[in-house]
Formats: sequence, C-alpha cells, structure tokens
Amino acid sequence: MRKAFVVCATAAMCILAAACGGGQSAGPSVAKGDGAINISLHQDPPKLDPTVSAAFIERHVFQSIFDKLADLNEKGEIVPMLAERWDISPDGKKYTFHLRKNVKFHDGTDFNAEAVKFNFARNMGESSVRRNELKEVDRVVAIDNNTVEVYLKNPFAPFMSILTDRSGMMVSPAAAKKLGADFMNAPVGTGPFVYKERVRGATITLEKNKNYWLAGFPKAEKIVYKIIPDANVALVNLKSGQLDITNRFPFNEAGNYANDSKINLVNIPSPGFGGIYLNADKAPFSNVLVRQAIEALIDREAIVKVALSGVGTPGRSPFSPGNMAYSDLDKPRKPDLEKAKQLLAQAGLPGGFNFALAVEMDPAAQQVVQMVQSMLKPAGINASIEKADFGTVLDNLAKGQFDVSFLPWSGRIDPDQNIYDRFITNGPLNYAKYSNREMDRLLDAARKDTDAAKRRELYDRIVVLALKESPYIFLYHEHNLFGMGKTVAGFMPVADGMIRTVNLSKQ
Amino acid sequence: MGFVIRRLLAALPVLFLVSVMVFMMLHMLPGDPATVILGDEATPEAIAALRAELGLDKPLLTQYLDWASKVFHGNLGRSLLDRTPVTELILQRLPATAELIVGSFLVALAIALPSGIIAASKPNRAADHIGTAISFIGMSIPHFWLGMMFIMFFAARLGWFPASGYVPFSVDPAANLMAMIMPMVATGFRESAILMRMIRSSLLEVMSLDYIRTARAKGLPMRRVILGHALKNSLIPVVTASGIMVASLLGGLVITESIFSIPGYGKLIIDAIFSRDYTTVQGAILISAVIVVGINFIVDVLYTLIDPRIKLGKESN
Repeated sequence: MRKAFVVCATAAMCILAAACGGGQSAGPSVAKGDGAINISLHQDPPKLDPTVSAAFIERHVFQSIFDKLADLNEKGEIVPMLAERWDISPDGKKYTFHLRKNVKFHDGTDFNAEAVKFNFARNMGESSVRRNELKEVDRVVAIDNNTVEVYLKNPFAPFMSILTDRSGMMVSPAAAKKLGADFMNAPVGTGPFVYKERVRGATITLEKNKNYWLAGFPKAEKIVYKIIPDANVALVNLKSGQLDITNRFPFNEAGNYANDSKINLVNIPSPGFGGIYLNADKAPFSNVLVRQAIEALIDREAIVKVALSGVGTPGRSPFSPGNMAYSDLDKPRKPDLEKAKQLLAQAGLPGGFNFALAVEMDPAAQQVVQMVQSMLKPAGINASIEKADFGTVLDNLAKGQFDVSFLPWSGRIDPDQNIYDRFITNGPLNYAKYSNREMDRLLDAARKDTDAAKRRELYDRIVVLALKESPYIFLYHEHNLFGMGKTVAGFMPVADGMIRTVNLSKQ
Repeated sequence: MGFVIRRLLAALPVLFLVSVMVFMMLHMLPGDPATVILGDEATPEAIAALRAELGLDKPLLTQYLDWASKVFHGNLGRSLLDRTPVTELILQRLPATAELIVGSFLVALAIALPSGIIAASKPNRAADHIGTAISFIGMSIPHFWLGMMFIMFFAARLGWFPASGYVPFSVDPAANLMAMIMPMVATGFRESAILMRMIRSSLLEVMSLDYIRTARAKGLPMRRVILGHALKNSLIPVVTASGIMVASLLGGLVITESIFSIPGYGKLIIDAIFSRDYTTVQGAILISAVIVVGINFIVDVLYTLIDPRIKLGKESN
C-alpha cells in the first residue's frame, strides 16, 4: 500500500511540476489595479498585422497599436490622424498627404514619407489581403520627408474612407522588413499602446506608448485584451470587476441593465448588416420572381424585435442610418403574403418549393434564420436549416454550393464598400453569382463620382434595383452593444464599432 | 528493457495510423484553410496564391509525405494560420491542460477514495445508498452544465472566484489556483463518481476473497483489514481505469476549457479545426496520441509495483 501510494504521489508531483514549470514560456502579466483597462474580445485575433488581417476582431486591437493616415470621429467624419491634412486634385485622381512631424514608431523608426510609401507597397503586395481595396492606386511618390502624393488610376470616392481602416494603418518599415511574415506576432506601429505579449487564447497585453505624439495621451498605463468567447461569461466578469469593457454584450440581457448601478451600456448603430444570399445561379432562385417573393414575405421588424431583442435597426439596404447613402428606402415594409403567392404563381411554383438554408454556428444567427424559415412557410416555401461552422459556410458560398446562405457583414463607412463587391458582376463577394449590366454601370458610376449629392442619387437608384433583383436580401443593421464599468471614462462611440483606447481611463 | 523497446515498436504503427486518419478526416472536411484565413474579403486570386504558398494545391499524398517526413525529423511544421511553430503552440497550451487533468484527477481521488471505502465497508447500508445516489447524480450531470452552474453561483452571485481569466502558475500561483478551482471541481466531480463506483465494486470483490476472511477470522479490526489488506489489491483495476480516465480527460476538457476560457490543449485543437489549420491539428493530435500511449505504458509499470504477481512483458496466466 505504502509503495503504491508513493509511486502514485511521485507520478502526480512530476506531472504537476512539469505542468507548472512549462508555464514559463507563456508568461503574461495580468492587470491588478495597475492602471490597466481590461477589455474582452469574443474571439482570439489570429494575426496582428493589418496587411494580412482578415478577421473583424483584429481591428479592435489594431486601434491601440497602429495609427492610420486618417481616422473617423464620433460623428462619422473623416479626420486627420498621421496625415495632418490632405488635398485632392480636381479630377479626383491625385491625393497629396501632409504628414505629421516628429512621429516615431515603437521601435524608434521615424514615421515619414518613405514609411508611407513602404506601407502602400506592402499593402499592394501579392500576399496582402488589402490588395483589392487598393487596386485603384497607381503609384505613390514621396515628395519630401513629410509630403506624399498618391496617384489613382480612376477617381475613387471611397479612398479616404478606406484609409481610416487597415489599409491606412502604418507599420514600422524596419520591423516589417526584419520580421517578414512573423511581423504579425510582434507588431510595431506608432499607436498609443505598444505590443508587449500575448498568451494565445487568453490575453493580449499592451503597454503605454510613453512617446506618443499626442501630448497627454494615452491615459491608461496598460490595455489587456482578454479572450472570452461567451458573451454571458464576459458579463459575469464585467460585474465582478475583472473586466472594464466587454466588446459584445448579450442582447437579451440589455433590458436588465438599463439602469444598473455598476454597469453602463453603450449602444452604437453599426454600419454593418445581416442578410441572406440567394443563389441566382441555381433554380428556383435564378428566377427573379422567386427572389422577389421571398423578399416580400420577410417581416424585418419582427426579426429585430425577437432575434436581436430590439438592439438593431430593421433595414432593406446596405446603408444604415448615418451612412451618407442612407435614405427612406431602407425603411421596412409590411410583409405581403398575397403578393408573394402571386409572384410564385407567375414563376410557375404556385405550391411553393423546398430549399436548404445555410447558417453558421452562432445562436443569434440561427435565431434569425429560424424566423426567416417560419415567415416563408405560409407561402409553401419550406426551408431546411443547415448549420455548419463558419469555414464551411464560407467555402460553400465561394464554390456556389448553396441555395440560400446567411452571411452578415461588419460594414464600412463608405457606401461603395458595403455594396460594390457584393453586386458587381464577378465581384469577390458576389456569391449569388448575380449579374446585371445596369447594376454594374450604376455601381461604377457611384464609386467614381466625388460629388456627394450625385453619389447619393446614384445609390438610391442602386438600392431600388437591388430590392427589385434581391440576390442578397438585407434584413437589419446590427448595433454594437458595449458593456462598461461605471469607473471607465473616455469611451468614444465611433460608427465603425471599434474600441478606441487612446482616451480611456479608469477612476 | 526488452519490454520497453517492444512497447515502443508497437506504438509506431498506432501513431502512423492516427496520423493518416487525422490527415484524411481533416481533408475531408469542407472548407479550406485559405478561404478561412483570408475570410470574406478574399479575391479568388488571393485564395489561389495562398493555397500555392501553403502547398495546398499539391496532391494529397505529396502533402502527407511532406508533413510526415518533417515530423520524422522532429519538426511538426508551422501553423497555417500565423506561421507559429506547432511545437511552440503545443508547449504553450499543454501546461494549462496538464494542470487541469492532474487537478481534476486529485479532486476525483479525494472524493472517490473515502466514499468508495465507506460504501464498500458497509454495503447496502445507509452510507452506501447515499454514496451510490450521489455517484449516479455525478455521472448523470454533464460537467459543462455543472461548470456553468458554478460560474453563475460562485462567480456571479458570490464573487468568490473569477468567472474566467486564466493566469499561468509561474506568473501568479494564487491567481492561477483561483481560476482553476472551479473547472477542476466541475470535471473532477464527474470523474469521482465513476471512480467511486469502481473502488466500491473492486473493494467488495476483494473483500470476499479467502485471505480477507482469514484476516477477519484472526480478529483484525475492520479498519485494518480494509486499509492494510484489501485496498491495495482492489486498486489494480482502478489504476487501469485511471489511465483511461486521463486519456479521456485529455479529449473531454475541450468543453471545460471553452466554458472557463482556459487556453488549453483541447481549445487549441478545436480552434485549429475551425480555422482548418491542418498542421496544428495534425501535430496536436499526434502528440496527444503519444501522450496516451505513454500513459498506458506508465499504467503498465505501475501495475507491477502494486501487484508483484504481474511481470512486464511476460504472459501471465
């Protein structure tokens, strides 16, 4: 007995010692009243390099590490950041950027015209995910240390808006050259916080940039992003003070915290939307009448009320309230069963039909499609819901192997970025394989026009056509709901839904 | 020595089969890494370029042989997602999981050993019935549900423990234990139920043997009969079961790790599967197969120490 016990105990101790000793390599520092702001993220950001970033979640962390040429303010306007000002030539093809002086990257490298040139080249390179966004850029010329000229192939109205996101983020040329593909694991920018370390799946720790160009900022000593996939678990952490901000507050809990003594809610309409692709390449969705019938059956107000617990805006267009292209066309209409039945009869399907409705493994998304499913039923249209992980949904969309598929989009500020790639013939996001010459013409015209009023008019015509054709049915504009401890000050609600950390402080 | 070498040789085909099966199953999944990595902003050209860069455009057999030959040279390759060496990812994640396994196992043992002994020493009496009832409850409650209840009650309501937020032991042992107690108890409770049933039945079986009857006939007190004579022999099946239990915990902790946001091994595999990070999944599963084979080996060695009648490598009748 004793021998057995000794053996067991020794084995257990060995494993425990190995378990604990091995932790050394991970070594994060976790905040304990040291001026750190703890922010939850619902996913682990895979790649901390704006050039190769493809995940929404990464953009939160980028706000702290990288500054951009221009930023968005709380009103949704484009304001100077690393570029103090810019001039646009009358033909809309030349942008001259006057850069902020005496700015240094975290590694001591100077931020200057050459650095901007390097970043454009990097973002336009072959392995860059930004390439498509910047394909209108013809060449970049450094005039002097603080002046850069960017020449476009065609006038391209969304250009400045694009530079307020990842394409405009400046990375240290020295670090990027030295680290190559590994830069994503040791990012260096000019931003308010310096990358310190990460424990994959758990935390990303950033420290104050003591030489930040904006005097008196940042306010916090540290930012710790904590990865907490479940919104309800994040809420518990917020209540117990382990977290200061949660990036996703559970919608269905919003009502319970409207007048809470410890927690503030911030509800910001996002520029994004949720909706479904109808495969226009495949029967019966190749028939526009069928697509119109489905469009007519959907009760968008009910979806927002039930599936989103009211935290959203019902919508029929890719432009949410606040977008320059927003118009009353976005406002939902009552569903019309009679009209849908007529359309189906005209399409030769009076009794309805069956199809598969693909959706990712996300409870909120699944609730949305379940509601869509029940709304189609009265017309005899039977949807069978097929759940799959995000990778599978995306792959099936790319291969055209779907009938109808739910795929939301986080949205951008410029209208072009919310619709062009989705509706243009052979566009990279045109999974519905929709093609319409008039649509192509309108989309191209709207992206080239630098006159705001004319652009708005063009986008109105685009929305009318998009509704009539319905290859993608817009359902709602999601809101970003942040939970915040009452001790947190300086939160800037910006329409892109990204948490800006430069201003944050804790009392 | 001969036994060790023979065991190692026997493990090789197992590991080979595991690697082939994991490789095949992964590649049968719809969705490819390039689409997932580039997300919904990717152009077809970008996807094709990345596929070529990652070697995904080569025939499957070539891909497997490329990977296998690297593994043979001790290199598990790099994550397709962020190019981190897979070995590094595994080493980062193993400590948390190992700690969780050891902790859950100790919790299970701490509950199961006394309650199993009590139940067996007084079979069909009140203590036994209560113990049996609790163990059935323990076996029936899914540990993820128990974990969520713990979070709701002990973290949200009472605020005794953090709801999540893992800290490595080497950084802050106290914070680490605070974060790990709830997941350890949640998984340990379930395992304890199974272990307790096993200890009880095995102890009862041993108690019916002749040598115990002799001991009792000599007038030894019940306490000494059980602890001094019966327990050791009844532990043999328990040791086997423990080996299997640790192996199953290695897979089963996926859910616990997700609920408590612990960056462990299970979560690494799940995240890698969702992002179609083939090399990471292959490497991680290969290593866990090595661990399971290793644990079985340790269990075999423990056998001989507990029961001298069992000799390694020799057929016993």
